[in-house]
Amino acid sequence: MSISIKTGKNASDSKRGFLKLLFLSVMAASFGGVVYPIIRYLSPVSQQQAAEKIEILKDELPPGKAKFFTYKGNPAVVIHTKSGFTALSAVCTHLGCIVKWLEDKNELQCPCHAGRFDAAGRVISGPPPNPLPQIAVTESGVKIVIG
Amino acid sequence: MELIKDINKKVLDWLDERYDARQWIRENLTEKLVHKHINWLYCFGGLSFLGFLLQIGTGIFLMMYYIPTPKDALASVQNIANNVPFGWLFQRLHSIGANVVNLLVMFHMLRVLYHGAYKKPREFQWVSGVFLLLITMAMSFTGYLLPWTQLSYWGATIGTEMPGATPIIGEWLVQLIRGSAQITGITLTRFYAIHAVVLPLTLIAFLGIHFLMIRKVGISGPM
Repeated sequence: MSISIKTGKNASDSKRGFLKLLFLSVMAASFGGVVYPIIRYLSPVSQQQAAEKIEILKDELPPGKAKFFTYKGNPAVVIHTKSGFTALSAVCTHLGCIVKWLEDKNELQCPCHAGRFDAAGRVISGPPPNPLPQIAVTESGVKIVIG
Repeated sequence: MELIKDINKKVLDWLDERYDARQWIRENLTEKLVHKHINWLYCFGGLSFLGFLLQIGTGIFLMMYYIPTPKDALASVQNIANNVPFGWLFQRLHSIGANVVNLLVMFHMLRVLYHGAYKKPREFQWVSGVFLLLITMAMSFTGYLLPWTQLSYWGATIGTEMPGATPIIGEWLVQLIRGSAQITGITLTRFYAIHAVVLPLTLIAFLGIHFLMIRKVGISGPM
């Protein structure tokens, strides 16, 4: 036998050390075997990567109207303005509430602290520190493609 | 290694100073005296309890994805079993584990019966044990409806029909359990509440009595 794991001064100590190591490894493996599935089970639902481009029919969105959808797991809005279609993140840059579209005022308003944004996402008034991030929009035939 | 030992000692010292931790561990765990005749047959009670703890754990995890409505129940269980990472593991642990717990409880009861361990001074040990058996079976019955499959639905129909044989109040009893004339979404949410809250709490209360009494009286002696 030429196994030499030296953790102690003599043979019996090294045998004990080895067994201890073995025991702890088995314990660690068992612990991991229990904890790993639990962490995987509880981890957030993976955001849909496949639907990175979202298509909306132009007919669904007459001028002045807005449509909300989920883009990369977060709420977003596309607005039919006078100058065309604008897609924005619908998450307020202040504290993360979801903005709503006020058609008569032609602006987006956050219900939490009354932050106001124009149809291009620029801050009009209220506490939001930054404009709403823009999302690319392209028109193709009867559809608009977002993303 | 030395560091762990050191921390261990410090923690135990701290607890010792306040709660006599080492003495408590000695008396209740490491140097607890039991009869010489104790053998593996005496494990079924403890194993039942272990099974119950496992059911609690897996049950909590299932609750995080389960939706108790007639429209979504089956789909949510299928989602757990097919899509959620390791969902199959927790779902099967819970459903198969339920059967295992029932078996363990029965074995435990048979052991007690065979050894005559229910006799004085342990009569109430037996009585509380019978309640625990009934609660365990009620757990299985209410849990069986929750996936809202054909088997669940008709199983619950038949099971809840049985109290109908009670004289006079039978029909009323059936409808009380169902919450409606037939098995509906109301029965589902009712069973869900009973399965996940009412019965576990009742079970824990009876377990407390069961354990405290056996600590006081001690495990039965040799036959």
